[in-house]
Amino acid sequence: MATAPLLRLVLVVSCIGSSMAVLFSSLPNTLTVTASPAAGQVLHAGVDQIKVSWKLNQSTPASADSGYKKVKVLLCYAPVSQADRGWRKTDDHLKKDKTCQFKVTTQPYSSGGGSFVYTVERSVPTGTYFVRAYALDSSDTEVAYGQTTNAAKTANLFDVVGITGRHASLDVAAGCFSAFSILALVFFFVVEKRKAKK
Amino acid sequence: MGDSSKSSLQVEPSDAQARFKMPVDSEQKATEFWLFSFAAPHMQAFHLSWFSFFCCFVSTFAAPPLLPLIRDNLNLTTTDIGNAGIASVSGAVFARLAMGTACDLVGPRLASASLILLTTPAVYCTSVINSASSYLLVRFFTGFSLASFVSTQFWMSSMFSPPKVGVANGIAGGWGNLGGGATQLIMPLVYELIHHIGSTRFTAWRIAFFIPGLMQTLSAIAVLALGQDLPNGNYRKLEKAGDKHKDSFGKVFYHAVTNYRAWILALTYGYCFGVELTIDNIVAEYFYDKFNVNLRTAGMIAASFGMANIVSRPGGGFLSDWISTRYGMRGRLWSLWVVQSIGGVLCVVLGLMHNLSAAIAVMLLFSFFVQAACGFTFGVVPFVSRRSLGLISGMTGGGGNVGAVITQLIFFTGSRYSKETGITLMGVMILCCTLPISLIYFPQWGGMFCGPRADATAEDYYAAEWSDEEKEKGYHSSSVKFAENSVREGGRRRRPSPTVPVEATPTHV
Repeated sequence: MATAPLLRLVLVVSCIGSSMAVLFSSLPNTLTVTASPAAGQVLHAGVDQIKVSWKLNQSTPASADSGYKKVKVLLCYAPVSQADRGWRKTDDHLKKDKTCQFKVTTQPYSSGGGSFVYTVERSVPTGTYFVRAYALDSSDTEVAYGQTTNAAKTANLFDVVGITGRHASLDVAAGCFSAFSILALVFFFVVEKRKAKK
Repeated sequence: MGDSSKSSLQVEPSDAQARFKMPVDSEQKATEFWLFSFAAPHMQAFHLSWFSFFCCFVSTFAAPPLLPLIRDNLNLTTTDIGNAGIASVSGAVFARLAMGTACDLVGPRLASASLILLTTPAVYCTSVINSASSYLLVRFFTGFSLASFVSTQFWMSSMFSPPKVGVANGIAGGWGNLGGGATQLIMPLVYELIHHIGSTRFTAWRIAFFIPGLMQTLSAIAVLALGQDLPNGNYRKLEKAGDKHKDSFGKVFYHAVTNYRAWILALTYGYCFGVELTIDNIVAEYFYDKFNVNLRTAGMIAASFGMANIVSRPGGGFLSDWISTRYGMRGRLWSLWVVQSIGGVLCVVLGLMHNLSAAIAVMLLFSFFVQAACGFTFGVVPFVSRRSLGLISGMTGGGGNVGAVITQLIFFTGSRYSKETGITLMGVMILCCTLPISLIYFPQWGGMFCGPRADATAEDYYAAEWSDEEKEKGYHSSSVKFAENSVREGGRRRRPSPTVPVEATPTHV
């Protein structure tokens, strides 16, 4: 009889546990991730490509990856691109974390590792980045990670120059409409002066 | 001061009445307000002025709802965004003062249309910016257009009689301010449409800026083509015909800056209208970042703040007029203080809300009170001075923008306070800066805590702005007429008093 409420309690706790926020600091760094850009290299959005590869660390026991089902690779902001920009803030709770906002790829995990060639999307803004890969379990929860930079996120960072979004036609249109507004004003002033003279 | 004095004294009342569709008083100002009419010149002026002012608001606050895109495209920091927000409202501080003077001197039609057409290039050029400094510059110059608020209030005060001036000013101001809310809906919608058609994110937001630009250009042209300064015509025509005396800037300036009530109202307006501008600048980003809603939802929430202006500010003007029928100017002052203080309390509470629906609910209540306070303020402003009405409207309006600059500077620049804390502290500042209303005193009508002086009259108060030589030449006659028409500001108790017999001509003319 006493086991029924206990069982219920365990059920409740495990439910909470699985939906409880995953903390980044709790994840083991078991993946080695490498990306093709050299440190300080400048890439252009929409044009240049990044080749990302990941595999399990040499030092990790082979059985550690038994729970890994998928790998999610993301493009992440380096601290210099996060400074004074609260909307890119790093938070230990992965659900609230805004460090990595661009998905590179999500692939099934294989113990031999994997790679992907990513063309930097045109929506990626100007900034300094690194690449991070999360290992996901069957419920798509992060269980491990790896990144191209060190723990302080200071090494091996590369830059992306985003598209400006400007076009020559926009420049011309802006000029024309502005001129029209000023001319309309001048026109009415001239008309007023003529009327006043009459 | 902006009224045809001599000609109206000679015209038969029935003739004057016959020329206008609407009933008018001795200054040819409408004594009724027909919202859904376009009757020239009174209601036509109303619709032209509120709509052109609305377009200025749409342009000035077109950037905030698109900030999540602009900040990435231009690589902006929070400091850059904060500075641009301050710049967007600081230009209008001095522009509003200049506008007040311009209205006094050349009339609201030319003054407002010139300002609006001269600032539209800044709106179009927003589509070609590529750095934090160019972003700041376009927002700064676009913000100048908010000075058209002064011409709106001035124009309404010239077209509508004292019993209706509160509601006319309130609706014109409120429906103009509405632009700050409408833009939070319009811009994300236009952006999504353009993005859907095929442009990249970073191009689509640029194209979107042509919409507010076009609205602004076309509305200003309508003002020039269809508008009229005064019931009897435009300034230039009336001045040439000798019907209107051209006042001197020095005198107008002197009588504005020496009137302490103008300074107090400038301060307190900074904490209803100024706060409204600040919220227009920060609210979309606030909801987007704090509650993790998407761009369109953040825009809708932000829009509902500004959209309350449809009824809240006009409501303030209407209630101000209604309260004055019972309690006169003292009622206007008390209700202004009460409403603005409640707004302050709600602002404090808003920053403390951590639940999305609660935050939205508090924000809506807050918007009603803070915007109604703006309406109440401009129920008082037309009575502070007759000669310098334009400049005093400008000072009050400019004070509103100063309040916006100060609150953004102290609470929303850099990372010193989180946005929630900033909002709560801003509420405390509202409460403190609303107290000076208790210091406003009109000798003929009283103040919040003191009754009127027995021997003071409205004519004395307004005639004191003119020197004896000017009075001899009859320049002040419109002030005299205004004093007669504002007899109701004494409140119900004073009406049977023989101090100001409306039918008799003033003896000291």
